[in-house]
Amino acid sequence: MNISRAGLLVLVAFSIPVAVELRVLFGFFGVDLPLAAVVVFEAVFLLAIAVVYNLGAEPKSATKH
Amino acid sequence: MATFVDRYPEEASVVKASLVVSFVALGIGALFGLVQALHRTGYFRVIDSVDYYTVLTGHGVLLALVFTIFFLVGLFTWAVVQSLERPLPDIRLTWAWFGLTTTGAVFVAVAILAGFVPSIDMSADVLYTFYAPLQAHPLFYVGLAMFIVGTWLAGADWFLAYRDWRGDNPDERIPLQTFMVLTTMLMWYLSTIGVAVSTVFFLIPWSFGIVETVNPLLTRTLFWFFGHPVVYFWLMPAYLMWYTVMPKLAGGRLFSDPLARVVFVLFLLLSTPVGIHHQYLDPGIAEGFKFIAMTNTMFLLLPSLLTAFTVVASVEHGARQRGGEGYIKWLGALPWRDPAFTGMALAGALFAAGGFSGMINAGMNINYLIHNTLWVPGHFHLTVGTAVALTMMAGSYWLVPQLTGKRLYSRPIGLLQVVLWFVGMVFMSNAMHRAGLVGIPRRTAEPQYQSFDFSAVIGTVGELRAQIALGGFLLFVSVVLFLFNLLLSAFEEPIENPVDDSLPAPLSGASGSPVVLDNLRLWTAIAIVLVILAYTLPLASIVGDAGLFGNVPGVPVWVSANAEVTIEALTEVIA
Ligand code: HEM
Ligand SMILES: [Cu+2]
Repeated sequence: MNISRAGLLVLVAFSIPVAVELRVLFGFFGVDLPLAAVVVFEAVFLLAIAVVYNLGAEPKSATKH
Repeated sequence: MATFVDRYPEEASVVKASLVVSFVALGIGALFGLVQALHRTGYFRVIDSVDYYTVLTGHGVLLALVFTIFFLVGLFTWAVVQSLERPLPDIRLTWAWFGLTTTGAVFVAVAILAGFVPSIDMSADVLYTFYAPLQAHPLFYVGLAMFIVGTWLAGADWFLAYRDWRGDNPDERIPLQTFMVLTTMLMWYLSTIGVAVSTVFFLIPWSFGIVETVNPLLTRTLFWFFGHPVVYFWLMPAYLMWYTVMPKLAGGRLFSDPLARVVFVLFLLLSTPVGIHHQYLDPGIAEGFKFIAMTNTMFLLLPSLLTAFTVVASVEHGARQRGGEGYIKWLGALPWRDPAFTGMALAGALFAAGGFSGMINAGMNINYLIHNTLWVPGHFHLTVGTAVALTMMAGSYWLVPQLTGKRLYSRPIGLLQVVLWFVGMVFMSNAMHRAGLVGIPRRTAEPQYQSFDFSAVIGTVGELRAQIALGGFLLFVSVVLFLFNLLLSAFEEPIENPVDDSLPAPLSGASGSPVVLDNLRLWTAIAIVLVILAYTLPLASIVGDAGLFGNVPGVPVWVSANAEVTIEALTEVIA
């Protein structure tokens, strides 16, 4: 999967509402997620998309469209 | 092919002037927003808590009324001229309404800002809802009246342009953008009657001391008669851009022109007879009337859902034109590098969230849970504060080059700016909503009570505060980036085509839709009837209960030097 640099930025932005509401989601199931867990989740997510981005990256500076 | 400024240089000047006023208000308003966010969370306090209400009034008025409406008059002028493809009938009229609205806005701003200077005996800390019996300096109300009359003249200007066009094109459908402007203005004429009556007949004479007392419930009800439709007045410029500009930026065309017309007609019909939904907790209005307002409000979901469908369909069409495929993967084919597109898309995403929290506000019974809590600012920073504000900023990246003939200084900074707004607003409004559920009040410099602790269900109140402060900070930085980007663009060299300003025809054009959609007289008549049905009885009973001029003396907010008078007036009100 190829992600453009701008697409990456938007993806990172969209991860924030997910992270911020993660504890509410777990709360529905009676799980009290500590703040640290959210931080770890966000970090792992960022790492994951960084990896995907680098794998899919065309030669440097190539931006789609 | 030259751009807007080359074809209509005089109109471009008025539009530019309107945007300058708009952006100045945005800058000051955003600074006030930051001050509030840091003050009420206790992170950093530059002002005295008594001055909080001056800041809050300034923030609300400058952003919700001045920034949004000056952008609107600029955008609508551009839209009418370029969709009718002819200049305005008389540019002197255009400058006249610009002068009147601007003078009015300056009066209002002076009356508010004077509240910071104790030596000037003037203040208008009545919050942007200007609720009596809080009494502002007369300059505030006079400025408001001028501002509103100015917008009426602006509407007249656009209607005259339309009439001229109609003379030359008797059998054509109204061009879509002009249709949007005209229906929006009809709604505005109808709804501003409330606020005009309130200021001209009650608040101005009362602030000058010509009449002694006021009927607060009456002026509140007249305020909300206008106060709900005004949210659609803010929103319609954003809709205009989502319908007519965003599909093009996405690489496609508007999915359906008739559907867009239906949506604007529905807003004309339904915007005004719902204002009482802001008064669910006001005593003196019977529950039945509140129930009617709630029912009408729920009908208003329809045009918003139609919009979500049409706009997303148009954007998806654009993505597929650009080679996007699959159920989800087409999203990757959108032009995310373009700050105008990305800003509008992010604004639309947060608008959806705001729509959900709005349904909580609209429900008569669940409203009690969140009424006057921080939930409410959480809601409207998603709607007017993002769906509208972010769309206006993003749209500027495409619109301003057409008005100046100069390129945008930096698109990457523009992209960073819109993403920063999204992130900042996610933090701030999410925490505001949650704080509201805990019961933390809005409009409070000191939201903590002695020996009382708010406790969050999930996480802590401290985290919510931190989130609000962080979000507010990011939002402020975003506004600074926006303003600098535009400022630096002013120093670019003029070029032939700074942006691609052509707007492709819709996939499904107007010709297939019923002609009755363009019958503005009919829709206006129905809108008037609905308003009469919704408001006659409640207003009659409010006037019957306490009389036209009521029996409540003023609580002037500007006699800080004369505290005894204030206290005396207050005790009278309480007694
Ligand atoms: C820099 C970005 C912004 C920040 C940091 C910010 C922050 C705030 C905060 C913290 C409050 C709540 C104060 C309280 O209830 O005690 C508030 C209220 C408000 N904000 Fe914003 N805001 C921003 C942008 C906007 C925008 C763009 C708009 C509208 C276009 C807006 C409209 C309002 C209004 C109408 C109020 C309520 C005023 C009242 O209660 O009378 N804000 N803002
Ligand atoms: Cu409303």
